[in-house]
Amino acid sequence: NVEKTDEEEKEDRAAQSLLNKLIRSNLVDNTNQVEVLQRDPNSPLYSVKSFEELRLKPQLLQGVYAMGFNRPSKIQENALPMMLAEPPQNLIAQSQSGTGKTAAFVLAMLSQVEPLNRYPQCLCLSPTYELALQTGKVIEQMGKFYPELKLAYAVRGNKLERGQKISEQIVIGTPGTVLDWCSKLKFIDPKKIKVFVLDEADVMIATQGHQDQSIRIQRMLPKDCQMLLFSATFEDSVWKFARKVVPDPNIIKLKREEETLDTIKQYYVMCNNRDEKFQALCNLYGAITIAQAMIFCHTRKTAGWLAAELSKEGHQVALLSGEMMVEQRAAVIERFREGKEKVLVTTNVCARGIDVEQVSVVINFDLPVDKDGNPDNETYLHRIGRTGRFGKRGLAVNMVDSKHSMNILNRIQEHFNKKIDRLDTDDLDEIEKIAN
Amino acid sequence: PSSSSSSGPPSGAGNTAENLFTPKNELTAEELKQFVAKKFTLGKVPLKPPPEGLLSV
Amino acid sequence: QREGLQVKAVDSTMQWYQQLQDAASQCVLAFDALTNSKDHQTKKIKMDLQKAATIPVSQISTIAGSQLKEIFDKINSLLLGKAVHCGGRAVSVTNHQQGLDFVHYKLAEKFVKQGEEEVASHHEAAFPIAVVASGIWELHPRVGDLILAHLHKKCPYSVPFYPAFKEGMALEEYQKLLGYLVKDSKVEQQDNFLKRMSGMIRLYAAIIQLRWPYGNRQGAHPHGLNHGWRWLAQILNMEPLSDVTATLLFDFLEVCGNALMRQYQVQFWKMMLLIKEEYFPRIEAITSSGQMGSFIRLKQFLEKCLQHREIPIPKGSLPSSFWRS
Ligand SMILES: Nc1ncnc2c1ncn2[C@@H]1O[C@H](COP(=O)(O)OP(=O)(O)O)[C@@H](O)[C@H]1O
Repeated sequence: NVEKTDEEEKEDRAAQSLLNKLIRSNLVDNTNQVEVLQRDPNSPLYSVKSFEELRLKPQLLQGVYAMGFNRPSKIQENALPMMLAEPPQNLIAQSQSGTGKTAAFVLAMLSQVEPLNRYPQCLCLSPTYELALQTGKVIEQMGKFYPELKLAYAVRGNKLERGQKISEQIVIGTPGTVLDWCSKLKFIDPKKIKVFVLDEADVMIATQGHQDQSIRIQRMLPKDCQMLLFSATFEDSVWKFARKVVPDPNIIKLKREEETLDTIKQYYVMCNNRDEKFQALCNLYGAITIAQAMIFCHTRKTAGWLAAELSKEGHQVALLSGEMMVEQRAAVIERFREGKEKVLVTTNVCARGIDVEQVSVVINFDLPVDKDGNPDNETYLHRIGRTGRFGKRGLAVNMVDSKHSMNILNRIQEHFNKKIDRLDTDDLDEIEKIAN
Repeated sequence: PSSSSSSGPPSGAGNTAENLFTPKNELTAEELKQFVAKKFTLGKVPLKPPPEGLLSV
Repeated sequence: QREGLQVKAVDSTMQWYQQLQDAASQCVLAFDALTNSKDHQTKKIKMDLQKAATIPVSQISTIAGSQLKEIFDKINSLLLGKAVHCGGRAVSVTNHQQGLDFVHYKLAEKFVKQGEEEVASHHEAAFPIAVVASGIWELHPRVGDLILAHLHKKCPYSVPFYPAFKEGMALEEYQKLLGYLVKDSKVEQQDNFLKRMSGMIRLYAAIIQLRWPYGNRQGAHPHGLNHGWRWLAQILNMEPLSDVTATLLFDFLEVCGNALMRQYQVQFWKMMLLIKEEYFPRIEAITSSGQMGSFIRLKQFLEKCLQHREIPIPKGSLPSSFWRS
C-alpha cells in the first residue's frame, strides 16, 4: 500500500465520521466525568437528569421522546441547561462521536427557532454535504411536531435564483456555500441569525479554506447570536479555532474512554487453511445469535472470496471494500444497519477508523498486520476493544492458519498482556459456553 | 415425542376455544355485561375475545 | 367480585404458563443423551442439527419473498425428517433418535433470541421472522409451544405476568425473574433491558397476526389474534409497572393494534378508550419524571389513533407484493 497523501487523509476523516454515524444505532457509553468550565464561575452549575427539567416546549419534548430517548446522555446533562439558559450562552463542547452532541445542538436550535417567522434563524455548518444531510435528518425527526418548520441545505449544487430570499427557518450547509449565501448572494440575512452551530470542528479545519470561511461567516452574525461549537477531538489547532469563533464560551469536555480488552472475550481458532477457517466460521454461526457480525480480511481478494462462499451458504452478505466511493460505502453500511444484510465482510484497510462498538461479534478472518507484516496492535485494540460496562459484552474470534499467524497472535497477547484462549469450533458445547 | 399442543388459551374453555370469537353462551353474565356496555369497567375487561355478534353498535 | 385492578394474572393463565414451562423441561430431558454424549460422532451430529435448525433463522431478512420461502422450506424439511443441505453435508433429524426433540427446542429458542437481539435493535425485523415462525408453528405445533415457553421465560410480560418478589428471595434471583440480565452481581441498564423486552413483545405481536401465505388456511391460526385480545385485556386488568407497562403496551399496539382493530372493531375501541380515560392516570401516577419517555410515546400514539379513528398499519409489515419478489 502506498502512503496516503495529506489530502486523502483529510477526506478520510469526513468519510469516517459519516460511516460511523451511519453504523451507529445507540449512544456510546462513557463512564468518565464530564469536565465543565463556566464562563461565569459564580453562576450556579447545574445539570439535569430528565428532559422534563428543561421546560421544553411541549412539541419539542414530544419530538425528543418520539425519537425513543428516555433521558439525557452524559454530555447532554450538562450541555443542555447551558444551551437553553436565558439569556442563551455560548458553548464549546468536546466528546467522542456517538455521545449525543448532535441531538443536543439540534434541540438548542429548535428551542430558539420561531417557526412562524419565515426567515433563517439558525445556521449550522457541517464539513460535507453528506454530514449535513445526517444532521438534517435529526432536525426533521426532532422537529416532527412543528409542521411549519422548514430546512434548507446550503450545499454546492443547490442553486437558487438571484435576488431571492429564503424562507426556511434553519439552514444547514458547508462553509463555502453558506458564506456565498450570506454575503455575495444575500439569500440569508446573517443579522437575523439567533443560533450558530459549528459541528465537527476537527474535521472542518482539516479541509483547506473551511476555517477561514467559518470565521468570515461568524463575523457577520449579531453580537447576541448564540455560538456553539462541537468537536470529537481537541488538538491545539481545534482549540485555537474554537476560541476564534466562540466568544466567552462555557466549555464542556468528556474524555474519550480508553478502549480495553478487559470486557471482551477473545479466542482463537486453529485452522489449516482458508477452507477450514470458513468451516469454523459456519460453526460459530450455528451456535451464536449473531444479529450483526463484522468479519475482517487482509486482502480484497480474500474478502471477495469469503463473501461469495457465505452467499453460497445462503447468508446475506455485505461487502465493504477499498475501491468503493464514499457514497457506495455509505449505502452498504445503511443496508447492513437496516438488517437487509446480516454479515459485513470488509478488508482491514477499508474499515480503519470505523467504530464497531455496536457490532456484537468481531471476527478477524485474518489478523491485522501493518505493511511490514508486524502485528498492528492499535488496529486490533480499536476493532475489538470496548469501553466496557455491562451490556457491552463483546466477543472476538481470531482465525489462525499458520505458524506465522500464530506468531502474530502470540505477539498481540504479549503486547496487551491478555491471554487469548483457544476455541475448538467443532465442539458445540464450548461455543455455546462462550456465547453466554 | 408427543405433539399435543398446550397452546390453547388459558381462558378455561378447553380446546375448542382456539377461535377468534367467543360464542355468547360461553360468556359469564359479567363478561357479557362488559361486552354489551358502552364502556369497559377498569379491571373487568373479559379475557375471552368478544362474540362475533357484538362488534358494532 | 374484585374491585379495581389486580396485581396478578388470573390463575388459568398462570397454569398455562406452568404447563408450557414443564413441557419445555421435559423436552430438554428428552434429548438428554444427545446433549450429554461425549462420543465424537454424536457430537458431530448435534452440531450439524443445531446448525441446520438455527442458521436459516438467522438468515431471515426482507431481501425477497422467494428467499423467505426457501428458508421456510428448509426448516420445514428438516422438521419433516428429510435430509437438508448444511455446510456441504446432508443433515437429517433421523440421524439420531433424539434429533427431532433437539431440533424443536433449538429452533424455538432461536426464534425468540432473534427477537431479543435483532428485533430489539431493528423493529421492522419482527415481520419476516414472525411470518416464518407462524408458518412453522402451524405445521409443527410443538415448536409453537416451545416458542411460547422460551418467550415467557425470557420476557414474563409476554404472558403477561409481573413476577412478584417472594420472601427470602435473593435480589439477583428476583432481577433475573423480571427478565434483567445479571452478571457478576451487576444488572444491565434499564434502557438495554427495555430494548430487549420490546424486541420480544414486538415479535409476539407480529406472530399472532401473521400467517404463512403458502400454508393451507383451512384451520385457525395456531396462536392468533384472540391471544392479542387476551394479552391486552390481561395487561389492562393489572396494576401497571412503571416504565415497563407503558413501553410494552406501546410496542404491542404499534405492531398489532391495526390487526386487532380490524378484528374486534367496536370492542377494540372500547379498550383504547379505557386506556385513555382510566388506565393512563394509573400509569401516570406511578411514573417518575425521569421515566416520562415511555408514557409520552404511548400517549402520543393513542391520542392520534383516537383522533383519526384509525390505527396505522405498522411500519415494516410485508406488503403482498413482497411475495412476488
Ligand atoms: N438522550 C439520548 N437517549 C438515547 N439516545 C440518544 C440520546 N441522544 C442521542 N442519542 C442517540 O445516540 C446516537 C448518537 O447521538 P449523536 O447526537 O449523533 O452523537 P454525536 O453527535 O456526539 O456523534 C444517535 O443514534 C442518537 O439518536
